[in-house]
Amino acid sequence: MDAFSVGRQPARATVVRLALADLRHEWVLTLCLVLALAAVISPLLILMGLKHGTVETLRCSLLEDPTYRELRPAETHTYDPNWFSAWRTRPEVAFLIPTILPASSIIGAARPDTLATQFLDLIPTGPGDPLLLGNGALIPGTDEVVLTQAAAEWLGVQVGDHLELRATRSRAGQSEQGTTRAIVRSVLSTRASSLARVYAPLDLVLDVESYKEGMAVPGRGWTGGSPTPYASYDGLFVLAPEALTPVQQAALAINTGLTRSTELATAVFRAKTGLIVPETSQLYELGVSSGSVQMSSVRAVKDKLRGTGAIVIPYVSADVLCVEAGESTGEHPRVIGLSLSLEDSQRLGLVDLPWGSLRADLEDAVRLQQILVPPGSITRGVDLEAVFESGDAAARFPLTVAGIGPQGVLLVPAELLGILRTGVDRPVIYDSSSGRFLLGRTGFQGFRMYARTIDDVAGLEKALRDEGIEVVSQAQAVERIRILDRGLTRVFLLVAVVGITGGVAALIASLYAAVQRKRRELGVMRLLGLARHAVFRFPIYQGTAVAGFSILLALVVYFASAAVINQIFAADLAVASQSCQTEQHICALPALTLVFAFQGTLVIALLSSLVAAWKTTRIDPAEALREE
Amino acid sequence: MSAVEPEDCGDGEAARAHRILSVSNLTKTRQQGGISFELKVPALSLRAGELIAVVGESGCGKSTLLDLLALVSCPSSCDGFLFQTQGGAGGSDIAALWKAGRESTLARLRRQHLGYVLQTGGLLPFLTVRQNLELPLHIQGLQVDPIRLNELASRIGVADLMGKKPQFLSGGQRQRVAILRALVHSPTLVLADEPTAAVDRTRARRIVADFRSLAWDGGCTIVMVTHDQPLVDGVADRQFGFRLEQVSENLTRSICLEGEV
Repeated sequence: MDAFSVGRQPARATVVRLALADLRHEWVLTLCLVLALAAVISPLLILMGLKHGTVETLRCSLLEDPTYRELRPAETHTYDPNWFSAWRTRPEVAFLIPTILPASSIIGAARPDTLATQFLDLIPTGPGDPLLLGNGALIPGTDEVVLTQAAAEWLGVQVGDHLELRATRSRAGQSEQGTTRAIVRSVLSTRASSLARVYAPLDLVLDVESYKEGMAVPGRGWTGGSPTPYASYDGLFVLAPEALTPVQQAALAINTGLTRSTELATAVFRAKTGLIVPETSQLYELGVSSGSVQMSSVRAVKDKLRGTGAIVIPYVSADVLCVEAGESTGEHPRVIGLSLSLEDSQRLGLVDLPWGSLRADLEDAVRLQQILVPPGSITRGVDLEAVFESGDAAARFPLTVAGIGPQGVLLVPAELLGILRTGVDRPVIYDSSSGRFLLGRTGFQGFRMYARTIDDVAGLEKALRDEGIEVVSQAQAVERIRILDRGLTRVFLLVAVVGITGGVAALIASLYAAVQRKRRELGVMRLLGLARHAVFRFPIYQGTAVAGFSILLALVVYFASAAVINQIFAADLAVASQSCQTEQHICALPALTLVFAFQGTLVIALLSSLVAAWKTTRIDPAEALREE
Repeated sequence: MSAVEPEDCGDGEAARAHRILSVSNLTKTRQQGGISFELKVPALSLRAGELIAVVGESGCGKSTLLDLLALVSCPSSCDGFLFQTQGGAGGSDIAALWKAGRESTLARLRRQHLGYVLQTGGLLPFLTVRQNLELPLHIQGLQVDPIRLNELASRIGVADLMGKKPQFLSGGQRQRVAILRALVHSPTLVLADEPTAAVDRTRARRIVADFRSLAWDGGCTIVMVTHDQPLVDGVADRQFGFRLEQVSENLTRSICLEGEV
């Protein structure tokens, strides 16, 4: 058997040589078969190329165009900053920025040397904005803007030109205008938007919004009001010299915005406030079941108690303020907010409060930022540092020591704690330049969101909808292309099945007939010592070789046809390919598909040749000895 | 079995002692359309260097005998069928191989030890003369010695036809190429089936002469089947013939006997 196993490889090589020599010998038949198969394969390749090219071109226009990744809210909601930071961390979100209401977003723009103002839509942008980056624009920095093509044409400006932005508002019956200068950083292609728009950094947009709402923007020299925070409290203490009648007590919770009215023991009051009041006082606590007590409620209660000589003390139960009282005290003394007139404080046996009684007007910053410290080392006139938290941020501000107060507590104006109490619900910021507390922005009216890929759009849309946020997106456009792709794939498969069936039939018939014709030659091969299994491979090698030549020819035809087809559509695609990063072809196949087509053809040919191969096994070498 | 003989078969007398094939009591039955044909070979042995002629009219079983000797037809029954390829030791029991269905082993024996000359040559039409001549060597994975091949081709006068395909050769040329192909791998046994059927008498004589001389040089045994007894008379070392018997209406029996002409 050794001789046999040694002889195996040469036998295989010999059969390959014989099979190819036979194909060459009958080159006319071979050529016809190759042409026939190539005529089946090349249209399939072209068809597949057209399908792939078309779908990819459509997909590319979507992939490349950030518009298809955009999600905008369909309704106006308020989205707080936390919402933005939470959504920005999601991996499928490429970009997220707040927007302002459309009514506030109209801004006048003009070249500085002209008076003619054009009104544009002002859109906030920021680093990573796909709409700008995907349309060949740069992200505008401070005092820079990006214009849409339409806006640039309207204004007659180009990149690098200066632009004056004019925010207008009507206040107290008078028309006012705030202006700022900006440089045109880029001009967007028409694909981004056909509307006249100006894209500016978020802070400029928010400044414009504030200005339009009547507020001042000191940074830009725009005058106006400031959003002073209001004071809010957790409840009220009422100190009455005599007990209130039940009717009087009940009346305190009617039309005052308060819902609770309870009597309070002096000891409890002392525990809550750290203040000692005369034992003769009758104490009541008024409150609300939820939310906060506003100044209006305080005023209403005071009105109801007029003539009774009762004192109303609003309180804040949470520790909203922390004062760094120095090292003199081991523990932080409690901070009590208390605003009383001179008369009231004397009645209660308390020290004089420099800031006096409770006021609705909170404009006086100096009055609010005072503190009375317990007797000790801290001297009058010194500034202590106070810390409060609002939103996610802690802010520091100074408190001036205005005098010495009772032991164990730090006394500050009740309004100060009221303002900081408001800071729990809404952002309150301390503007160190003006030394004032300002009401921060509670949230934004809208957003511009971009998904990372077009395939993330549908998922994001669903996630937002699950949060109750209806959005507008182009998810349907993505889905439409997917449906088209599926449909075309089915059509292609149908044509492919018909074509391949024909090709396989032709190959089987041809190889089978060849085996029939060459019975004698195959017999001679057997006689010369080629084993049955060696001759079995003869038609397989031939079929595979023919298929190999066919697919090579088909590829040549395909590439030639694709070049022609792409040439025909080149003009129409030029517009699309300009903005697309990859070159666009209406007929194109990925290299891997071509490799697969090549392998697939060979495998199908190999399977088809099995019929003929089986036929060879029926040939008796003795036949070679016979003469017909 | 005789003792190992020298390899040089040019010395006819010495080689004749080495037996390469022996058949005893072989029967091959064929049926076609209800009519049976039975070939019986009581005893047949071939010795190295012999030119054996098998002579008979068509239908007498020449081809059947040749199929059996060519190892492509399975004997129906036989007492012994030995193929002694090398002197002495190594021998193959053909009957056993057939019984065991060792088709590949038989194919190996064919390609290593047998050569064939068919009526019209049996050359592969899609190969050139050179490729046809190289084929028996290639099948065995042997190296072709081009000098030796050209030398052999020159001797039988086909050296200038090496690049041509068989279809461009005359009948005589084709037959000579076929003979050379049968001998090129130095087989032990060459089987020739009516090698002169397609050529005229003069060429036929030359072919037989070529055959004879090449066989002696290569030291092989040649079995030549022909219906033309005068052609081989005086050239063949031994002759086998057939005795036909009509056993019954449906059975024809042919017995192959030495000297039965």
